[in-house]
Amino acid sequence: MLDQFLLGLSVVLQPHVLIYAFFGVFLGQLIGVLPGVGAITAISLLLPVTFYLDATTSMILLAGIYYGSQYGGSIASILLNLPGTPSSVVTCLEGYPLAQSDRAGLALFVAAFSSFIGGMVGVAILVLAAIPMTVVALKFGAPEYAMLVILGLLAASMIGTGSQIRSFAMVLLGIALGLVGADATTGYYRFVAMPELADGISLVSLAMGLFGVSEVIRNASRRPAANAAPLIIKMRDVIPTRAQAKSLAFPIVRGSSIGSFFGALPGTGAAIASFMAYAMEKRFSKTPMKFGKGHLPGLAAPESANNAASQTGFIPTLTLGVPGDAVMALIIGALILNGIIPGPRLMVDQPELFWGVIASFFVGNIILLLINIPLIRLWVLLLRIPYQKLYPMIIIMICVGVYSHRTSVTDVLLTLAFGILGYLMKNYRFEPAPVLLGFVLGPLLEDNFRRTMLLYGGDFTIFVTRPISAVLVVCSALMIVWAVWSSLSHRRIPAPSSP
Amino acid sequence: MFKKLLTTLPLVAALALPASAQEFPDRALRIVHGFGPGGNADTMSRIMAEEMSTGLGQPVVVESRPGAGGTVASGYVSNEEPDGYTMQLMVGGHAVAAGLYNSLPYESVEGFTFISTLGQFPFMVAARSGEYESMEALIAAAAAAPGTIKIGHSGVGSTQHLTGELLALRTGAEFLHIPYQGGAAASTALMSGEVDVVIDTGTVIRPQAEAGVYDILAITSAERWPDAPDLPTVSETVAEGFDVVSWTGIGMPAGVPSEIADRIRAEVHTALAAPAVNDMIVSLGAEPSPSTGEEMTALIEGQIAVWTDVINSAGIEKR
Repeated sequence: MLDQFLLGLSVVLQPHVLIYAFFGVFLGQLIGVLPGVGAITAISLLLPVTFYLDATTSMILLAGIYYGSQYGGSIASILLNLPGTPSSVVTCLEGYPLAQSDRAGLALFVAAFSSFIGGMVGVAILVLAAIPMTVVALKFGAPEYAMLVILGLLAASMIGTGSQIRSFAMVLLGIALGLVGADATTGYYRFVAMPELADGISLVSLAMGLFGVSEVIRNASRRPAANAAPLIIKMRDVIPTRAQAKSLAFPIVRGSSIGSFFGALPGTGAAIASFMAYAMEKRFSKTPMKFGKGHLPGLAAPESANNAASQTGFIPTLTLGVPGDAVMALIIGALILNGIIPGPRLMVDQPELFWGVIASFFVGNIILLLINIPLIRLWVLLLRIPYQKLYPMIIIMICVGVYSHRTSVTDVLLTLAFGILGYLMKNYRFEPAPVLLGFVLGPLLEDNFRRTMLLYGGDFTIFVTRPISAVLVVCSALMIVWAVWSSLSHRRIPAPSSP
Repeated sequence: MFKKLLTTLPLVAALALPASAQEFPDRALRIVHGFGPGGNADTMSRIMAEEMSTGLGQPVVVESRPGAGGTVASGYVSNEEPDGYTMQLMVGGHAVAAGLYNSLPYESVEGFTFISTLGQFPFMVAARSGEYESMEALIAAAAAAPGTIKIGHSGVGSTQHLTGELLALRTGAEFLHIPYQGGAAASTALMSGEVDVVIDTGTVIRPQAEAGVYDILAITSAERWPDAPDLPTVSETVAEGFDVVSWTGIGMPAGVPSEIADRIRAEVHTALAAPAVNDMIVSLGAEPSPSTGEEMTALIEGQIAVWTDVINSAGIEKR
């Protein structure tokens, strides 16, 4: 394996390839910062450029945009509460409170560093275990996915700071919103009030509305506060203290492992990974009450998870030639345009391409870390812009970003409507994150559950007779028992009264 | 007030001076398509736009109006001015939609001026390597155990799905049709053994066949495909007269003056001969197919009849 990895490195370290790798991750990072503009838009615009490049360089460029945008996504989430993807929703939960309490620099540093470690672990898994991971991924059929999603939904209802019943209600709201559109099993249109809704509510609209727009409304109704962010930030304030660093080691390790595993499953990967990591940190933490108020481990774990997942997400794409999501499909499309048909033989027929791309992830993550650390101080300055000027700009950027996804005015109006909903929810202490997760996972659950029923003739026992599915059922059951038990025991033992 | 005047002025000018063929085109044209940015339709549109803009001497802008299987875009284009400045990149789904939707905001044939098809492509019937010896063996197995052989397809109402249903209708075999979200997911399910057969395009099937993972049992076009002459057709094996090809093509709103339609058709044909466009079409597993407007109309009318019949006989939910 090492020989081949070195072959890959020799490909990437050619100056012209290195330039494209740099350009890719840098562009991805910028795109990720812009609210609502996703990697898909950026890659599809750059697709024609790849006609003039060879296959390896195009792949490196496009892949760089993809995982670079994951880094960028955390910046917007931390500074402005604007999650671009479902996986960065969780970043908002701890990152934004940190930024609000003048620790934006620290949050950005921890995010960048955790992302780096997560990315590196993902690359290592890709190099060492791509084939065994593929074998495992192929063992996940419809019943396994259905049970995995149930586990994910349970995790989702635990990430809120308030009561679990409220979180669970929000998960259900998300599932309900996810029902809009064509039923995947029969094609029947549900709640399609206008043709624009035939493909469902746009995830970007929902995320940008509930998080970004609602935050703007909330701040607009406040007295403009003097901006506290200092003009010059000392590096000392950005780097975590030794004690802080120590508390992050295990969350990063756990996050990276969870991310690496879930990333390799086509379709579900990164989204589930980041909040599974978050829910797990909260469960295992000795201080769960600190979560939601700017707790560093709650930022580090999901950040490392989503970046690990974005690397191992390439496993099915590279080993089977089967794209895991829409972005992967685009990248494969670029290969096809270059006359290379990706498939199981890619690793054998095109070793330079295969290993060159993997080595570029390694180099790309280093480049990202190097460009991110100095930029932190620049990003923090963004918060010095007075709210009256910053927020109108954000609203405009959100609208443009949302429009660019499906060129639909309906989506823009929906975003603003979700903004108002999000504002009301916040006033009544309902949290938006579980809504989003329910929205993403609900349709996945329905799709896989109904497919299981079709495949196995409506036999419910299939969920416990298949080994992996059975393990997932047990995990879900344990999670429910744990949640019930801990809420009961909390009620029985009164909180220690202050002396 | 002044602003309003500024925006309406060009409109008034455009109405007052209908573009004559000599000066066509005197401004930017656009290609609208009904799919997301980055899909095959989007890429195809961009490549066509680039090639056609050199011939037309005006920029050609690509506009994506995704939604409801491309019908949002078709409804939009059909209601635009037939001035020759709005084109639509259409796909085989246009003929499927005519049977699948209870009400469409346009007439599927009369609502358009069809210019030319760009490329046509067949589907391939694939199974895991060694599972079935031939197409005949698959149908025999299906006849022996009705409703047990699972065909994975890329979504309810997709041409892939309907091709599977048509195969069942024509051979009398009963299959279990399992929907997935896209061809890639269906293909993964075939690999893992969740389904037994997948019918999809060459881009999905052929890489796996070349790696020895799949056997291609048959191809759905009426004649053997020039690019893969060794593959038997469904027609010559189990269902005589079976003919399914899908296509991409260019259409415009109904009522485009014939000299303008001819000009666009000539440009489309020139673009099709360009290496970049040709390579793109071939890489998508299709054959370039420049046609007349009448040929494209006949193709679509024929397919609407077939698919509407399949949708009704198979009892597929209308939207």
